[in-house]
Amino acid sequence: MDASFLDLLMAQQEEVAEAEGGGGIWVVADVVDGAIAPVTLEAIGAARNLAGALGAYVYAVLLGDGVSDLAATLYQAGADGVRVADHPALASFAVEPYLEVLVNLFQAEGPEVILFGATPQGQELAPRVAQRLGGGLIEHATAMTLDEATRTVQAAVPIYGGEYFEIVASPQARPQVLTIEPGAFPVPFMDPYRKGEPKSIEVTPVEPRVRVLGPAEGFTPPSVPLAQAPVIVAAGRQAGDFGLVERLAAALGGRVAGDRGARDAGWIGPEQIIDIRGVTVAPKVYVAVGIRGDTFHNAAIENARFILAIHPDPTVPIFRVADLCVEADPKEILPALLHALGA
Amino acid sequence: MRIIVILGRVLDPRGIVVNPRAGRIFVNREEYILQPADRCALEAALRIKEAVGAEVVVLPRTFLPDDDILRQALAVGADRAIYIMGKPVALPDDGLMARVLLAAIERLGGADLILTGATTLDTGQGQLGPRLAEALGWPQIVGAWTAEVADGSVRAVRQDGGNYVWVESPLPAVVTFAPGALKLRYPDGRRLINIYKGAGEIADALERWEAKDLVAPEALTPMLERRGQDFPPERERGVRLSGSLEEVARAAADALRARLPR
Repeated sequence: MDASFLDLLMAQQEEVAEAEGGGGIWVVADVVDGAIAPVTLEAIGAARNLAGALGAYVYAVLLGDGVSDLAATLYQAGADGVRVADHPALASFAVEPYLEVLVNLFQAEGPEVILFGATPQGQELAPRVAQRLGGGLIEHATAMTLDEATRTVQAAVPIYGGEYFEIVASPQARPQVLTIEPGAFPVPFMDPYRKGEPKSIEVTPVEPRVRVLGPAEGFTPPSVPLAQAPVIVAAGRQAGDFGLVERLAAALGGRVAGDRGARDAGWIGPEQIIDIRGVTVAPKVYVAVGIRGDTFHNAAIENARFILAIHPDPTVPIFRVADLCVEADPKEILPALLHALGA
Repeated sequence: MRIIVILGRVLDPRGIVVNPRAGRIFVNREEYILQPADRCALEAALRIKEAVGAEVVVLPRTFLPDDDILRQALAVGADRAIYIMGKPVALPDDGLMARVLLAAIERLGGADLILTGATTLDTGQGQLGPRLAEALGWPQIVGAWTAEVADGSVRAVRQDGGNYVWVESPLPAVVTFAPGALKLRYPDGRRLINIYKGAGEIADALERWEAKDLVAPEALTPMLERRGQDFPPERERGVRLSGSLEEVARAAADALRARLPR
């Protein structure tokens, strides 16, 4: 049997047929730079897991201008049906035109669960859809299970950015609307043999009420104090080349700081010293470059969510508190790290 | 012109310690602060009031056990605050509060602008503003950095991808603010003392309404139900990366990328 015949056979087997009777799990797709956003694929994968337990079909909704070809990706990710609203009025995201399409569709289809990505688009649309349809909304779901007795989705939502999670459900309200945290669910296997015929949605153009006037020339957001910075790259006496540290901070969108050694070297000001006698920090990411990690410094970073330490000496105390340790000379590893980060 | 600002409070995260191994949250210092994004909304309202003249009315985003944050808002310059009394719920429930706040806004006689935070510090919820906008049939600007009112419309700076853009919406509208967008001013000392002592004109600016007088009892049923807690896996420290320089750099870059805030 030659491979092309096998391909044909598998392709025929995987032609997806849609169910009648409404309900189902619906995923509203995010399109970024002409491609389906990863969070949408993750949401379809999560929806497939729920669908198995729920005994429901997974549908995806695609909105935009010239987006019809992207429906194939949604089928490959696991959608059983795809609805496409392809219209010039939907070329760029605006609340009212998108909402009109979605509400009309969901009022006709009666979905049981609706998933959005926790993206700017999803965060604007999901509450309005939930409010219009009388549904409950759980935001930033990072895990989902099903209470099969009541067909209720239970989701874990991060508290204080992930310090712990509350398990939440909206058992009374239907539909159950959720936004999915990007990166929290795995991207599903993309089955190239999975295909289907998307259905078009008729679009009645609606004028958006919020107008974009143009770039905010000269506007700079207020600077965040070092103590509240989400990303910090700190240098120590062994950092070697402080220019590389600054480049790493720029590549990560972080702030530059250091320990007392960096201050002695003249690289940073006194207000940038991370130390319990200086600034105590709690960033999401803390990179310590050439910092030994004395008691005062390590106490000041104990609330950091993730610490990457780079130091040539394997016995330094910073390696006892860091999550990830790189035993290397910063002068050698930083150029390679910048390269790996695409900076 | 009437501006309604919706404010919430949050347990100061500096006072809590989460122990994943014990599966417990230890509250070492129980101190509540204004939700950071809501603080920005309050400051924006006060700036608009100074620029074009307006009455600033403050409403709570959850049922609160006390009226402290509303007093703080009056101290910095809000004209009126309504403390809505209801049964506190285990989790902030914006679906439930949207019903209550809609009724409260109606009783107030409507508004021209509703300002609140785009997200909460603890649960990360951002649905209250858009829910109110939908229920009122108003446009919304989500995640504003600054806002001004002129000629019957509100203009705001909003992030669009990596850039900042000016957007404009006709009034009435809902605008939610990004945390850190604006720094809330310090309270006026005399107002602060009078509010807490219950003296002077400003003491009468704090009103108390019952939620059950605003909506039917069935509307006070929470939409969200708390079903438990989960904790992240315990942190493994001191993991050493090994391999060639390029391999180590690639592994470190992947780890950083996965943890960078989105």
